[in-house]
Amino acid sequence: MIRYFVRRLTALIPVALGVVTLTFALIHLVPGDPVVAMLGDYAAPADVQEMRHALGLDRPLWRQYVAFLYGLTHGDLGESISQREPVSRLIRERYPATVELAVAGLAAAILIAFPLGLVAGADPGGPGDVGAMGFAILGISVPHLYLGPLLMIVFSLDLGWLPLTGRGGFSHLILPALTLGAALAAILARMLRQSLVEVSDADYMRTARAKGLSRPRALISHGLRNALTPVVTLLGLEAGALLTGSIVTEIIFSWPGLGRLMIAAINNRDYPLVQGCVLVFALSYVAVNLATDLLYSAIDPRVRLSR
Amino acid sequence: MRTERRFFRTGAVAAISLAAILVAGCAKTKPQTPAGYLQIDINTSPANLDPRVATDAISARIGELAYQSLVRVGRDGAFVGELAEKIERPAPDAIVFHLRHGVRFSDGRPLDARDVLYTYASLLDPENHSVKRAGLAEMASLEAIDNYTLRMTTRRPYAAALEMALLGIVPRGTPLAARDAIAAPPGSGPFKVVAFERDEALTLTRNPYYPAPSGALGGIVMKVAPDATVRALELTEGICQFAENDAIQPELIAYLSRQPKLRLIRSNGTTYQYLIFNFRDARLRDPRVRRAIAYGIDRQAIVTALLRGNARLATGMLAPENWAYNGGVLNYAYDPARARALLEAAGYSRTRPLRLTYKTTTEGRRLAEAIQAMLRRVGVAITIRTSEFATFYSDLRAGNFDLAASQWVGVSDPHQYSLIFDSRMTPQGGGNNRGDYANPEMDRLLRAGDAELDPAARRAIYARVQQIAAADLPYVSLWWIDNVAAYDRRLDGFEPFPNGSLLSLAAARWFPSAAAAGAARP
Amino acid sequence: MTRRRNPSLIAGGAIVAALTAVALFGPILNRTDPLAINLALALAGPGAGHPLGCDSLGRDILARILAGARVSLGVSIVVVALSLAIGAIVGGAAALAGGRVDGAVMRTVDIVLAFPGILLAIALAAILGPGLVDLVIALGAIGWTGYARLVRGEVLSLREREYVEAARALGARPGRLLFRHLLPGVAGPLAVQATFGVGGLIIAEAALSFLGLGVPPPAPSWGNMLDTGRAFILVAPHLTTAPGVAIGLSVLGFNLLGDGLAQRFGRRR
Repeated sequence: MIRYFVRRLTALIPVALGVVTLTFALIHLVPGDPVVAMLGDYAAPADVQEMRHALGLDRPLWRQYVAFLYGLTHGDLGESISQREPVSRLIRERYPATVELAVAGLAAAILIAFPLGLVAGADPGGPGDVGAMGFAILGISVPHLYLGPLLMIVFSLDLGWLPLTGRGGFSHLILPALTLGAALAAILARMLRQSLVEVSDADYMRTARAKGLSRPRALISHGLRNALTPVVTLLGLEAGALLTGSIVTEIIFSWPGLGRLMIAAINNRDYPLVQGCVLVFALSYVAVNLATDLLYSAIDPRVRLSR
Repeated sequence: MRTERRFFRTGAVAAISLAAILVAGCAKTKPQTPAGYLQIDINTSPANLDPRVATDAISARIGELAYQSLVRVGRDGAFVGELAEKIERPAPDAIVFHLRHGVRFSDGRPLDARDVLYTYASLLDPENHSVKRAGLAEMASLEAIDNYTLRMTTRRPYAAALEMALLGIVPRGTPLAARDAIAAPPGSGPFKVVAFERDEALTLTRNPYYPAPSGALGGIVMKVAPDATVRALELTEGICQFAENDAIQPELIAYLSRQPKLRLIRSNGTTYQYLIFNFRDARLRDPRVRRAIAYGIDRQAIVTALLRGNARLATGMLAPENWAYNGGVLNYAYDPARARALLEAAGYSRTRPLRLTYKTTTEGRRLAEAIQAMLRRVGVAITIRTSEFATFYSDLRAGNFDLAASQWVGVSDPHQYSLIFDSRMTPQGGGNNRGDYANPEMDRLLRAGDAELDPAARRAIYARVQQIAAADLPYVSLWWIDNVAAYDRRLDGFEPFPNGSLLSLAAARWFPSAAAAGAARP
Repeated sequence: MTRRRNPSLIAGGAIVAALTAVALFGPILNRTDPLAINLALALAGPGAGHPLGCDSLGRDILARILAGARVSLGVSIVVVALSLAIGAIVGGAAALAGGRVDGAVMRTVDIVLAFPGILLAIALAAILGPGLVDLVIALGAIGWTGYARLVRGEVLSLREREYVEAARALGARPGRLLFRHLLPGVAGPLAVQATFGVGGLIIAEAALSFLGLGVPPPAPSWGNMLDTGRAFILVAPHLTTAPGVAIGLSVLGFNLLGDGLAQRFGRRR
């Protein structure tokens, strides 16, 4: 178990290096200059030149790259050009909000998906199935940027139940979480239903039913556990996507997360900040996948970790 | 045994999920806008609050509330004394400022000439890389005659010298742009910045050393809300009590004016929007082509439909409020037949259209599409390139465009014409002549205008400048955007400024509780 | 073997066929110019001559929806085809080559998967200038990884099958082996994933439009119509309803079709 964990962690290094290199190459290919973006209209060319020098932007690209990697090995992400603050501090300020939103989105997705999936899987082809799956497919079909404003208008403006935007208490979290989690909820519900339908044909289910358990009870006490394995795999894949996919939701709901920070950094050509954000996003994605694998083995001991 | 372990594991999974939900549920609650404060929604975050480096429009707006400068721009675009109670010009190249006594910074320290000297010196220090250094290039010296008298000299007689006195003053010894934080140093304005979270919110509270009328607002929270619909919803719900100009989308004005709790006011503004031609392109050096494009755009229809009437058709950069305004210039009313004729004379037609690239920011896309459709009818085929500001701006400075849409905000002294139309003032030369426009007569007039100190003679020079600009068409003048403000009816005493300044909020009165009681009545 | 009822396949197939017909023939039957502006009709609601109303520049929404069908569906299908082609070749080659090549390819897949796709899209838009081709490249560059993984996994399991062994024993070169023997065996699951992929891409195009990276003006796509309409949701909700419904319906259609195909091929998503 520990050896597996260590091996997986070391496998992260080339991925992180690849992400960093790709980011570095892309952002420097993009036209635009952080100093001009920052100094604005009245900057004299000499000042621009001087500032570029002070920031080390006039060095050859490969030297900037090496310097960045060197800093990285010392845990230093550099300093934001546009905000003149350490990148690590800016990210630390914003990251919890993004995690909060992603976790809430995940929770919302699970809370919606499980009842739907169970209802549908308990009686495939029945009215519950048709209703639940119809609802689920609606969830996939509505894009975030349509759902978000719709929810705002209905629940905040018309009904006045929930706050409109921003980060705050639990109530602030509900609408963005629903917006972010709707599509995932639909995917999960469908997967759970499918999985339940498959396990209900398994031998142990027949045995359980033969012992006199009703179909729903047999499903919950025996089937559900086995049906969870593929659902958790999917959850892992999609949870990573949730983290990076929250950018649209963050913008719509003025949510102070990492996604908005990254978009602003790209617009300002703030190279170190973009680098830092991308790295954190990528590592989070990989970490979530790793956690899923571990969780997976917890649910299903047949899956050996040394795969 | 095995079943038990599995059950335990399933339990663990359930527990983790539950914990996740609980973590999500127990997020900390943020305090709302404090009582007696006004919440203003803004569309973009300020970049830099220190007046020595702040250049963007919203930072400048906040700066007016928190800092005072030697002079300020008045309603007619002329300079009025702020920290200076008296201004003298003993020589063509010298100005003497007499400071008011008894002014204090928000930390209680008195403000005198030494603070002014320090502020200018730290801005000019090359170590500090201030962008505003170039703006002081004409200043030869600044010295204190005594603690309340300053003398500024310029390199030559320079009419726009007072523009250099618009710098917000900070207490002496305040370091510039501390490496670990974007600081807002104390100022002597009516408000002081107490909290700033970039892209989120900025909190201003009263400067205790600045006199406030009774019932005045206790402070201002400026919240960054990038989405127009969200801003309108927040105004409607009363979460936010004030929004103006860029923060109000023209099409939503009618909706906002239907809200009983809101008051909507509209006044003439000075923000000038234009299309710029690139003279590096031989086709655009042909004046017939430039005129055809000016005649081919139905500006009135755009103002009516897209801006919902909230703009005045512009004759040039200077708005009628400016003391140097001259409206007697060539005007281009919509005339598609004439546009087609001019283009045909220049060798283009609908079957052989003139192909141009039009660049603008993402926000400018709808205007671009309207102009594109109009010009298509007269034989100009336009490709729109929208990009976020950094890319757009670097293209604009690099001269990488045929046609581009942009704007000038806060134009006051006509000296601005030198920066945009003097042939030496290309971006490489430190100016903003981005289209490489050149006319020797224009150059001569602009240099004369900068050196002429007599206001009447200056006005005559710039009257001619405005005529040439309209005839030569380096820019197609579009319109001056109106100032629009929507705010809670309980706010009393807000007066709009042509340049969009919020300064009148310092004396405005705010009674949130009184009207709340009124609303409770049946 | 008795054929089971497959309502998803029928319903999904019908919706997708209808959408294709709309995209192909809609703009021919409806002669209104989707680009013609009429500022006097800006934000006008549904009425005579404009059954779905007009947008913020007074353009006919129905004409734009029909023209947008070509753009939105076209982009999605081309991107899926591109991703599928890259993914099939890369994934298949990795599985056949095995060893270090396989490891390197899968690491690359990991990197691309972990990389925020938005950044890639923004960077490409800034470098190439926003355009249809750029959009297709950006979406394809992100999208191929899923297909590569799928093909690699399937090929690894198929490789041991008898007919493949036989072909190899007869001296078939790897390229021939891949295209003649292995990929046809993967066609079923690939078709399923590609069908779901089209639905996902229609939504992705909308999200990119939201960030200003979608189909460039004045060409209409459902994504940029939805995005520009969003600003008027309070005063003119019909601007978003039409593209919202169009997107929802087509995603629904492709998802149902995918479900149906999965059932047909006896596979799970």
